[in-house]
Amino acid sequence: MLLPKFDYHEPSSVDEAARLMGEIGGEASVLAGGTDLLVNMKMGKTVPKHVVSLSRIIELKEATREQGSLTIGACVTVADLRELEEVRAEYKGLFEGAGSLGSPLIRNLATVGGNLVTARPAADLPPSLIAYGATIGLKKETGERTLLLEEFFRGPGETMIEPGEILCTVVLREPPPYSGGGYVKLGVRRALEISLVNVAAFLALDGPSGPVREARVVLGAVAPKPIRALSAEHVLIGERPDEALFEKAGEAAANDAKPIDDFRASAEYRREMVKVLTRRALRQAYEEAKLREWRRWK
Amino acid sequence: MSEYSTVNSRAPRVDAPAKATGSAAYIDDIRLPGMLYGAILHSPLAHARILNIDTSRAKRLAGVKSVVTSEDAGLVKYGVSPARYDETLFCHDKARYVGDEVAAVAAVDLETAMEALSLITVEFEELPAVLTLEEAMAEGAPIVHDEYPRNMGAQVHQEFGDVEAALAQCDVVRTDTFRNKRQDGAFIEPQGCIAEYDANGNLTLRSSTQSPHYVQRTIAMVLGIPIGKLRVIKPYVGGGFGPKVAANAMEMAACLMAMKTGKPVKMNFTREEVFLYGRARHQFVHTLTTGAKKDGTLMALKNECYLEGGAYTSFGIATIYYAGSLLGGPYRLQNMKYDAYRVYTNKPACGAQRGHGGVIARAAWEQQLDRIAEEIGMDPVELRLKNMMEAGDVSCNDLKMNSLGMRECIEAVRDGSGWKEKKGRLPKGKGIGMACGFFVSGAGFPIYRSDTYHATVTIHVSEDGGTVHVYTASAEIGQGSDTAFAMIAAETIGIPLDSVRISSGDTEFGIDLGAYSSRQTLMTGHAVKEAAVDVRRQILGVLARELKVDISELDIKDGLIVFKHGRVDYSHVRNRYTKEHRGWPGIPKGREPLTFQEAARIAYLARGTIIGRGKYKPGELGGTHKGAAVGTSPAYGCSAQVVEVNVDMETGKITVEKMTDAHDCGFAINRTSVEGQMQGSLSMGLGEAMLEEVKFDGKGRILNPNLAEYKIATALDMPNVEPIIVESHEPYGPFGAKEVGEGAIMPTIPAILNAVYDATGIRFQELPLTPERVFMAIRAKTRESEQGANEQE
Amino acid sequence: MKTMITLTVNGLKHELAVEPNRTLLDVLRYDLELTGTKKGCDMGECGSCTVILNGKPVNSCLVLAVQAKGSEITTIEGLKTADGLHPLQQAFVDKGAIQCGFCSPGMILSASSLLQRNPSPTEEEIRTALSGNLCRCTGYQKIIEAVRSVAERDEG
Repeated sequence: MLLPKFDYHEPSSVDEAARLMGEIGGEASVLAGGTDLLVNMKMGKTVPKHVVSLSRIIELKEATREQGSLTIGACVTVADLRELEEVRAEYKGLFEGAGSLGSPLIRNLATVGGNLVTARPAADLPPSLIAYGATIGLKKETGERTLLLEEFFRGPGETMIEPGEILCTVVLREPPPYSGGGYVKLGVRRALEISLVNVAAFLALDGPSGPVREARVVLGAVAPKPIRALSAEHVLIGERPDEALFEKAGEAAANDAKPIDDFRASAEYRREMVKVLTRRALRQAYEEAKLREWRRWK
Repeated sequence: MSEYSTVNSRAPRVDAPAKATGSAAYIDDIRLPGMLYGAILHSPLAHARILNIDTSRAKRLAGVKSVVTSEDAGLVKYGVSPARYDETLFCHDKARYVGDEVAAVAAVDLETAMEALSLITVEFEELPAVLTLEEAMAEGAPIVHDEYPRNMGAQVHQEFGDVEAALAQCDVVRTDTFRNKRQDGAFIEPQGCIAEYDANGNLTLRSSTQSPHYVQRTIAMVLGIPIGKLRVIKPYVGGGFGPKVAANAMEMAACLMAMKTGKPVKMNFTREEVFLYGRARHQFVHTLTTGAKKDGTLMALKNECYLEGGAYTSFGIATIYYAGSLLGGPYRLQNMKYDAYRVYTNKPACGAQRGHGGVIARAAWEQQLDRIAEEIGMDPVELRLKNMMEAGDVSCNDLKMNSLGMRECIEAVRDGSGWKEKKGRLPKGKGIGMACGFFVSGAGFPIYRSDTYHATVTIHVSEDGGTVHVYTASAEIGQGSDTAFAMIAAETIGIPLDSVRISSGDTEFGIDLGAYSSRQTLMTGHAVKEAAVDVRRQILGVLARELKVDISELDIKDGLIVFKHGRVDYSHVRNRYTKEHRGWPGIPKGREPLTFQEAARIAYLARGTIIGRGKYKPGELGGTHKGAAVGTSPAYGCSAQVVEVNVDMETGKITVEKMTDAHDCGFAINRTSVEGQMQGSLSMGLGEAMLEEVKFDGKGRILNPNLAEYKIATALDMPNVEPIIVESHEPYGPFGAKEVGEGAIMPTIPAILNAVYDATGIRFQELPLTPERVFMAIRAKTRESEQGANEQE
Repeated sequence: MKTMITLTVNGLKHELAVEPNRTLLDVLRYDLELTGTKKGCDMGECGSCTVILNGKPVNSCLVLAVQAKGSEITTIEGLKTADGLHPLQQAFVDKGAIQCGFCSPGMILSASSLLQRNPSPTEEEIRTALSGNLCRCTGYQKIIEAVRSVAERDEG
């Protein structure tokens, strides 16, 4: 399959990239991992005049933690994300979500930033990142801004990113004690799957057996963008966590979901699965929350 | 200690090192000097009249060397069977499916070729399309082929015995309807070809094909080329599974443009084009009525089948017969009625795919037999054993089972899987199921009416050096046929495998019908054996005369001449050889055993180049009824499987946890290869049962023409398969061998269905068993029983 | 417009002038004539185009050649040594893990990458590492056994 002809640019710093995007952003596609862009170009869905590759920008591939925050560069690959000690230890839902994305080969190319800006409703990273309260850093020629990831998505393929803007960082704050995350994906086979439904959950408890102080339930693939299941969260806050509570939360989450029928699954099935997956994600989050003790970051 | 030197072992495949190092050349790895790149213009509409094709702008584009349409190609009709030649190389009056080939171009590079395609203007008059069986068969439906009213492309009506009378005597009669969805072959290597036309008018086509012979014949006929001037060569092929058996329009277009330009033309299918071309498993809707006595004796089967055929017949003319004939065994069944209808639709044509028409019929019936067993209160394994045919039995539709290790297969999987301990004892959500199946070892007749041999083989003995070269037109497509034939030749002649070279897949090497209907081991294997015997006879004949002994005193084993009784003085043979090889290190000397190398050398000196010849044609095969030709075979492989599943009752997701498979291949020429075919068949069966489906939109366009959304099993989806080889020693097979390549898939889908029933209490009559389908059925069942419980209160 | 790039492939440096819209797969196959890396779908869905790029197995059909400039790439041709087949290649041959062979180069490279990172993988880890490489012929089992046999051997 052929790729369209384009001019190729390889800025070596974020500033250079931002400047470039300021000039040609309107006719340019940003290339990070390429797992989405190259497929779209081969299928003729995207025909950019310019491709701006972020591959040479070292700072975008770094992950640093300082003062209770983990800052992940947008070009950190999904595989490398899973290798980060913090992600493995502190952000189990994210670790799970990243592990279910595509295949090991795809994960070696796909980037955290790419999975966000492509804004696919069924994407694997957004739900748990939102559940952990992630913020993102965007930069353009004229300045920077920070946004709550939850507010970044507008619809399928659409985000709040402005012309000439580049997504640079994803920032996660340190999770409180007695908190945990979970992520459950439902697909037809066990790899190379786009979720039929996915659910991420985050619980912060007052103590090892609750009650629930903070709760975030995020649903994917059942709305034009990943959504918080606010009614489910409402059900959870202040209550002692147990199976019955999670089931009630699942029922509530199903009502928050706005799934559609498509060639992969029916809306009805998706809605039913929101119940099941919510319950399971909450169970995962609770299991982790029960056991977490305060961990002082070095 | 095996009585054999080479066969029945686990010899590594002769072509594995080339494949492991990446040096094996598949079609797209080959490049010829001056090669052009071709591309096809496909119809974007499912059904449309073609009013005009304007290629003028395309022809004017710099770098374009040829643009062809039906005007250049002509209108010779072709297909797989002469009974249904219903397609032309390019559409001329109508396009009949999204993907139908309208034109082709050849240019200096692919980019130019693709641009040229965009410059071809086709004026279509869109016509209403029929996309389902129901739509196509409806009164007043749009007609795909004018010659076939009601879109009825083919019909079969057969009856053996008296089904109605038999049903009347039954204690249990069940009727069930079962359906699957259209599948795709999903071989990892897409089709591709290179056509080359030389200055003497000889055309050579290299193609990723399963049958150089069928491709050669079809192209010669369609393009009007003398067949003697057309050579088809198969390079390494990355899987076939059925869709690559027949000639495709790309191959013909490449040949046409090579002839017009005088330059080699390469063409490839993109993965999307693989789906557009299709020619894979049909959708079948089977309504089966089976009657049995309360002691479990199967009495009668009525099988009504609708096949959704797509826009052309292709291999479907054979499929429609197999979907009936392959239920004639492996049980003793005196009464069978079969009525089938293959319906044209405006979708890609369907054809043959691993197991052909037998797979879905078997799935439907083996589940129904389980239901009958349950109604009678009999263990499903016992029901099978009770009705099993024995070696020597003939089915009601004249299929003669000269060997049938079905009992051994069933007992092996029953005992190897822990069936007795597990059946009916697993917790809810876990289930165990079993099923059986069988398949032909080669179609009894070629697809065109002819007395042709099904395989011819020559074995050239090197004039010096003691090696032999097997030449066969058969098709190594990954199943291991080259290795099997090299092993048969080595064993039969009596030399090490290392001394055998094999060249295959070239129409210059003889006649071979190719890799389909699971025929090569038995049929071509016979021809190889015969040629090898001929080689032995010629060489030992000369040696016997030279040594003044009777030929019956001589044998060849492990590359050495064996004298059965007493000592023989062979010194003059040795001396002659030594004299010719003065100064050569490592040649045999003194009283060392006489070598095959030396014997072969004197045979050459006496007779000239030694060439052994072999050929094979099946003997008289039974059946005088219409359609008897399809289903009849010299031998039948058979198998049984037990599968264990775990169903997530909350999501409907099924995990296949364990598969125990026993296959009677008659005799395993290569044990590792047989196991590999078993395991591969099971992975395709699992995919078809649970994951795979080609989906269309309302305009006949494929929604999932890619390997992300058409889901074959990944390494995480396949469980471990315990393969058990059963050897029943087929009298009509070389060394007793018969098939494994397609028979092994037969029990897989029904074993999964029966296991899912055991786990959930639900019978599924529609594939694939996606999580959604399973969940909805579980929910419906739960509601039903809740309602029932409520009503009781 | 073409750019000059340097690719180190199987230890050998190549200087090439490539258009930016060429994939690494196409440059390897058609410019460098290393045809061992296969094109099964060209969309990153089958894994037959797997190469090791700077130590990680990737779908080379999803990488622009210009993106890979200055990189170290191992293709299947680079696995064999002067002494013979790489242990994984030999194991694939011996265990019957190769049927049509089209997925084999990608499979072997994914497996070699796994064993470098994790010399004693569990069966689940092997299956996961190979989950991006589709095979239609083998049902994966003999492939898993081949990888296992190399892992276990190196343990002893």
